[in-house]
Amino acid sequence: MRLLIVEDEPDLLASLARSTRDEGYAVDTAADGEEGLYKALQSDYDAIVLDVMLPGIDGWEILRRLRIQRRTPVLMLTARDTPRDRVRGLDGGADDYVAKPFDLDELHARLRALIRRASGHPSGRVEIGSVVLETAARTVARDGQLVALTAREYALFEYLALHRGQLVTRTALYEHLFDEDDATLSNLLDVHVSNLRRKLGAEIIATRRGHGYCIEDPGTTP
Amino acid sequence: MNIHSLRWRLQLWHGLLLVLVLAGFGVTAYELQRAESLRRIDQQLDRRVNEVLATLREGQPRPRPDDDDPGPEGPRDPPPDRRPMPPAGFRLSQRFAMRFGTNSQTGAYYALWARDGRRIGGSDNVPGELDRPTEARPGASAIRRTRGMLRETVIVTPPGEAIVVGQSMATDLEELGRFGGWLGIAGAGVLTLSLAGGWWVVTRAIRPIEAIGATAERIATGRLAERIPVAETDSELGKLAGVLNETFARLEAAFQRQERFTADASHELRTPVSVIISQAQSALARERPAGEYRDALAACERAAQRMRRLIESLLELARLDAGATTRKETVDLARLAEETIALVRPLAEMRGLQWTVQLAPATCVGDPGQLGQVLANLLANAIDYNRDGGGIRVTVGPGGDGGVAVEVADTGIGVGPEALPHLFERFYRADPSRTGSKGRAGLGLAIVKTIVEAHGGTIEVASEPGKGTKFTLRLRGS
Repeated sequence: MRLLIVEDEPDLLASLARSTRDEGYAVDTAADGEEGLYKALQSDYDAIVLDVMLPGIDGWEILRRLRIQRRTPVLMLTARDTPRDRVRGLDGGADDYVAKPFDLDELHARLRALIRRASGHPSGRVEIGSVVLETAARTVARDGQLVALTAREYALFEYLALHRGQLVTRTALYEHLFDEDDATLSNLLDVHVSNLRRKLGAEIIATRRGHGYCIEDPGTTP
Repeated sequence: MNIHSLRWRLQLWHGLLLVLVLAGFGVTAYELQRAESLRRIDQQLDRRVNEVLATLREGQPRPRPDDDDPGPEGPRDPPPDRRPMPPAGFRLSQRFAMRFGTNSQTGAYYALWARDGRRIGGSDNVPGELDRPTEARPGASAIRRTRGMLRETVIVTPPGEAIVVGQSMATDLEELGRFGGWLGIAGAGVLTLSLAGGWWVVTRAIRPIEAIGATAERIATGRLAERIPVAETDSELGKLAGVLNETFARLEAAFQRQERFTADASHELRTPVSVIISQAQSALARERPAGEYRDALAACERAAQRMRRLIESLLELARLDAGATTRKETVDLARLAEETIALVRPLAEMRGLQWTVQLAPATCVGDPGQLGQVLANLLANAIDYNRDGGGIRVTVGPGGDGGVAVEVADTGIGVGPEALPHLFERFYRADPSRTGSKGRAGLGLAIVKTIVEAHGGTIEVASEPGKGTKFTLRLRGS
């Protein structure tokens, strides 16, 4: 999953980026409104954490302009915490609203819920045959046994699982799994996929040669 | 119904007064009417007395031949159709006799007694219980008396004949009773109308009071935006409502300022607290290299320092608001400026700012610590909102009217005209997002203004976006 964090307080931005990277997200950052809007429009993020008070273009304006083109889930971050502000935020197209100061655990949970809802999964638990993905605990179990995955492997599997039944192109995977600073070689993706197949079963991820990867949805392809 | 309410007290007083007036008027009218009808009756009786007297003087009337009365002596049993004693040898002339009725209930009657006390005459309708009057002296003026429903005039001639002429007052009293009844009805009507009118007027008059009360009650429950509806601005209550509305507006404004101040203060604290929490939580989430811990701690320290500055500013403002006694010392602003410039010079050098300083001795009376803070805040602004390589001009010297003036001008980004009036407001920032890295909460100029005003001085600002800003501080000289 790939996040954009737009926040002008550098220390807050740094800690947000660090903690979300720890959670396995690919994270891009922006320190002001212009940069934030540019990045939000350029890439297809899975979610955006957007501070309201920003130099240049403020959070409301970024949200308004973003909504013209994209439906990216947006979590607004603000120091203003009156009901009026919340209503304005939600009515303005924000998907969630967190007031400062906040707990990182809560922020992470809200981000997970936001991404889950956007991909059409109301629950944080996805079952694919004998393999069970728990997004809250960030664990994958096979036949009831936890499978040890690296952060990248988990992120790849989570993305494919949340988009099961859809063909996920390699480009989309690059977009959503790696942030702008990652210099990952393309063949690394194949390494991660083959590792996943080794750990979870060869049949779990299908390769559409020349297109990308897919986890079959039992509903559409029994 | 509350007997102590203004409306009821007014009504009660007004009703009481009206009852008294109406009763006084009614009783007087009734008494006048009664006296008038008595006078009328007495006049009639007087005329009849005169007629009887005249007949007496004309001589002893002879009994008519057809009279069945045998003589003056010896009363005999009356015939069954005549109750009163027939007059003994006295008859009014026919003309007069007609004036006396035959019924004591309606008509007039008379009775006549001889000197020796014998009853010698009378009309047919003399009430049976009539005796010779004893209260009159011979030759004295007539005596008027009332016996039950009867009004009588008694006169005794100088020789000693007693005459009683009387008349029933029944019809007059009945009429008087009707008159009294009408008076009562009219009085009650007037009272009712007047009370109803009074009620209406009082209700209308106190309606604004009720509106004021209701509004004040709503305001007391926290709805500060409520105002009293003012319909008539010229009445006393209308003026009162206007004054109260102004008071409410001022109260609300003060309340809003306080509320905004609290909201702003908490808002300013939220960001550094967020930094501390998120830095600490993300650092503690897992084992990290020592460098990351150092970074996290450094960020926490920066945030805590920012909070400390904010708290210091808030305390400073609170102290100033509470009217903390300012020390009174002779302060040379030129020296104070020199010292302050020396303090901030390293900050200015970091941005490559050029100083232009013109200092002439300018002494005033005040608190050197507070005045030093004013200069420090102004200089910090001039440094922070300057452009790299710009300039700061500080001029201290005598101002007009024996005062002293300090000018601090920069070549910085300036402030737009829409922001200028708010520049000295607490937590106001020309650019609302220009927080964070600089750690400015927007209290510096508010503190400056509060201190300057506590010293009886003024501070003005002129600015042009892109060119720079100039603060002019004026204080009384010493």
